[in-house]
Amino acid sequence: MARQLQIRRLICLALLLVLAFAGLGYRLVDLQVLRHEELSTIAQHNTQHEFLLEPRRGDILDAKGNLLASSVMVKTVCADPMLIGNHQAEVARAAAPLLQMSESELLKRLVPHLRQNEKGETVTNRYVVLKHKVPVETWQKIQATMGNISFGLDEKKLTKAERAFYHDLRQKAVFSRDDQLRAYPNQTLGAHVLGYASAEEREVNDMPVTEISGKDGIELTFNSKLAGVRGWRVTETDRQRRELVPLRDQDVEPRDGLNVVLTIDSVIQHMVEAALVEAMEKHTPISISGIVVRPRTGEILAMATLPNYDPNNPGAAPVEARRNRAISDVAEPGSTFKIVVVSGALNDQVVRLNDAFDCERGVFHYAGRTLHDHEPYGVLSVENIITKSSNIGAAKIGIKMGENRLYDYIRSYGFGARTGIPLQGEVLGIVHPVEKWSKVSIAQIPMGQGISVTRLQMVMAMCAIANRGVLMRPMLVDRLEDQEHHVVAKYYPQRVRQVISEPASKLIVEALKTVVTPEGTAASAALDHYMAAGKTGTAQKVEDGVYVRKYFSSFVGFFPADNPELCISVMMDEPKQGYYGGQAAAPVFKEIAEQAASYLNIRPDSDQGPTLAEKNATSLNARAVKALAARQ
Amino acid sequence: MFDAVFNKPQRRFDRVQLAALCGLMLLGAAFVYSATMVGGFANATPWYSQSWFRQIAYCGLGLAAASALCMADYRSVARWSFVVYWLMILLLVMVLIPGIGSIRFGARRWIELYFFQFQPSEFAKLGFILAQAHFLSRPQEELRAPAIFWKAIALMMLPFLLIMKEPDLGSALVLLPTGFLMMYVAGTPKRYLVRLLSGVAILGALFLADVLFAPPKWQIKMEDYQRRRLLVYFGAEYAPPPGAPKAEKERLRKQQFDDSHNVRQALISVGSGGLTGKGWRQGTQNALGYLPRAVAHNDFIFSVIAEEKGFVGSVLVLTLYGVVLFTGIRIAGQARDRLGKLVAVGVVALLFSHVFINIGMNIRIMPVTGVPLPLLSYGGSSVLGSLIAMGLLQNVHIYRKAY
Repeated sequence: MARQLQIRRLICLALLLVLAFAGLGYRLVDLQVLRHEELSTIAQHNTQHEFLLEPRRGDILDAKGNLLASSVMVKTVCADPMLIGNHQAEVARAAAPLLQMSESELLKRLVPHLRQNEKGETVTNRYVVLKHKVPVETWQKIQATMGNISFGLDEKKLTKAERAFYHDLRQKAVFSRDDQLRAYPNQTLGAHVLGYASAEEREVNDMPVTEISGKDGIELTFNSKLAGVRGWRVTETDRQRRELVPLRDQDVEPRDGLNVVLTIDSVIQHMVEAALVEAMEKHTPISISGIVVRPRTGEILAMATLPNYDPNNPGAAPVEARRNRAISDVAEPGSTFKIVVVSGALNDQVVRLNDAFDCERGVFHYAGRTLHDHEPYGVLSVENIITKSSNIGAAKIGIKMGENRLYDYIRSYGFGARTGIPLQGEVLGIVHPVEKWSKVSIAQIPMGQGISVTRLQMVMAMCAIANRGVLMRPMLVDRLEDQEHHVVAKYYPQRVRQVISEPASKLIVEALKTVVTPEGTAASAALDHYMAAGKTGTAQKVEDGVYVRKYFSSFVGFFPADNPELCISVMMDEPKQGYYGGQAAAPVFKEIAEQAASYLNIRPDSDQGPTLAEKNATSLNARAVKALAARQ
Repeated sequence: MFDAVFNKPQRRFDRVQLAALCGLMLLGAAFVYSATMVGGFANATPWYSQSWFRQIAYCGLGLAAASALCMADYRSVARWSFVVYWLMILLLVMVLIPGIGSIRFGARRWIELYFFQFQPSEFAKLGFILAQAHFLSRPQEELRAPAIFWKAIALMMLPFLLIMKEPDLGSALVLLPTGFLMMYVAGTPKRYLVRLLSGVAILGALFLADVLFAPPKWQIKMEDYQRRRLLVYFGAEYAPPPGAPKAEKERLRKQQFDDSHNVRQALISVGSGGLTGKGWRQGTQNALGYLPRAVAHNDFIFSVIAEEKGFVGSVLVLTLYGVVLFTGIRIAGQARDRLGKLVAVGVVALLFSHVFINIGMNIRIMPVTGVPLPLLSYGGSSVLGSLIAMGLLQNVHIYRKAY
């Protein structure tokens, strides 16, 4: 009886076991057979990871291949305070000199930020950035230093756990991330052309990436070319995210960004900037711009504006300093604009160079307004109107030519339209259509009043005259290259239109040559070995609709006059101590022109001339090159 | 003529069971190797102190101990059962004393000997089986007395509470079905058992309700990780204190994710194994550390086997355990007396509880408790304890006939 009960209960026990095993078996069938697909996909996702590979941003080079902007691979040095234990002091002492940070500052960062969770457990932060943008060599030194750091302990006596702790402290406590630093080795040189770039943290496919993007200048316009194309790698990792190299699946190298080769020549750029700095000190204008263009091609060899900024640290400069005023600011050009009306009239054969105009002894009443010359002139030939820069003469030529023709020439020279320079922020200038002109406009516009132009437009118009009447599109980028300096894209000079005929351009050049003679307004722009041609401008500024005694002074000229190599403009906003274009701007033109001519080996017009001056020029040039080398 | 045959002691092992046990031990060593010989640490330690070798050594030691145990009749062994029992209780008390018991993973479960860490709870289970079998082997009529019933309960609860105190919930919990099944087979009247079962069920339900739903003030005191494991098992959210800041909620959510990591990864390991598995030492979950290294070779060894050998492998494991358990029940049925029957049932129930709870937590039908898989999981005490238990079973088989 009792035995029977026991046997029955044993059978029950066996049944229970069968049931339990059936349950386990059912679950195993469910997991390993029915849900196998689903779960093995998850297992694959566990190990498969996609990494983004960042391309190196391309360089910006000058025409001679000098680096203007470059990307430097740097490290962001980070630390894991949890792995440091209580050795912050030792680590800080070892790393501080290498990181060039104070020990106390470093110590502050290394000390873990303790936090109590609700159970009273202490939780520490495990990631702290010690320093951004650390050079790779410095990081290697830090690694070596950390690897050999001594804590004054006999390592052999430590337990296994302690040894593991010190191993981690040495190898893992201080770590780094890859980063790129956009560097401009010449600091402010060509800042407005280059622009600047900034790094932003972004998420791409749920992965954080640091992206450098251009914010201004060439960096912005050519951002997509410079940036390159991101690569990726699909691979398997273990749980610590260490890659298993043999299991790499897709591995697409990033394509590094292209190098942008500019037409800018950094030596000339430096000459211009040095000359501008000097003029800035002398005349203390609000701003000053200098542009050097090759008239035949429209290549811009230098383009500088003061005040400028250091693109390595654009945030430190005020917003006004970051603006490229040569293309973004407009002003009434003043007398330099007379080249438009005179060349137009010569082209239309409305006037000839030796036609005489009565300059009314400096006072000319027209349409209810009175026009003045800075000096009372009697009868002047057209050529002398340019030489002396007579407002009344220019006005009369304009009147003779007619509103519509004048307007056509203004537009034809490119005023009121963008020049097409590959920089952001270029403005049109203000050119009113004829219907909106007042009665006096036809007299004012020829002398550069009642019209607003950019500094670049003015120099391009002068280039058109120098270039046998053909307006060129300004060129800033010569070509794009890959990292091995193979040309990827080449840019060629672009002709915009023939503004005036070649004979007409010859005539106006003749007139412009007289400006730099002792009789002209810009005798100080005369060059020792070259025949220069150019035009001064001294525009009164308008404040609240009234002309005030503030001036916008300029000189735009080119040389050698009959076979122009360079066209140079110097423009100052509100110069003090001598506001005439001929006084303030023309000497700067001369300085730049002589240095640049010497540097570029431009064949002199005349062999005579003081050899001493020549020597000076050469030594000046040598000095400029040396100074630039020092900056780099 | 037959006397000679019958009177000769039949020192015969249950060969089928023995073969199954050997299979399990070999599987154990092979997959402990697979689970530990990964990554850079594989060659850092000399071969003789690597886990797989130690596992084999423990198997040898356990087999030796089991063989030694088989030299003596289980009845003479059972005479010492209460001595063993109280000795084990003493060890369980000692392990709680700081300085003797050493703390690992927040629990005081080990006694450090010079070369060996020794987990008394593994052996206390055996002591309990012997003592309980001895106690319940009295004439069945006596079992009807409430005093005997309560004494049997007390015999079970003493080690249970001591092990709970370590705390080692898993090891403590396996005592309950073991004790219960022994009482059941011994012939304790049904009404006691029904009451016991319903009592345990009500307590368990109350306990779970408390953990899952009660506001913090009302919750009974238990280790934080134990509460979290239960919450993970039932898929309940970690309740942040009311008005907790967002960061705190976020942190709890993250912690929940981390805590359920083991369970989730074990499930993925098992499922990704498929029908035939990825091959020995080829399991990505195991080799690449997604199945955490700390547990892959002990509590989650089944996941490693299931991943690397697939459904075939896991069914093989189940079959081997099935063979051991059912031969164990046959041994119980053939035992010559109630003592032998109860010892056999105790060992079978203990083994079964381990297997079910461990495999159950690997495939997420049981909450995670630190119960090793006998003979497969790495661990000296566990292997020794399991083999000694199997020795007891074989002993009952060898001495099944009266001479």
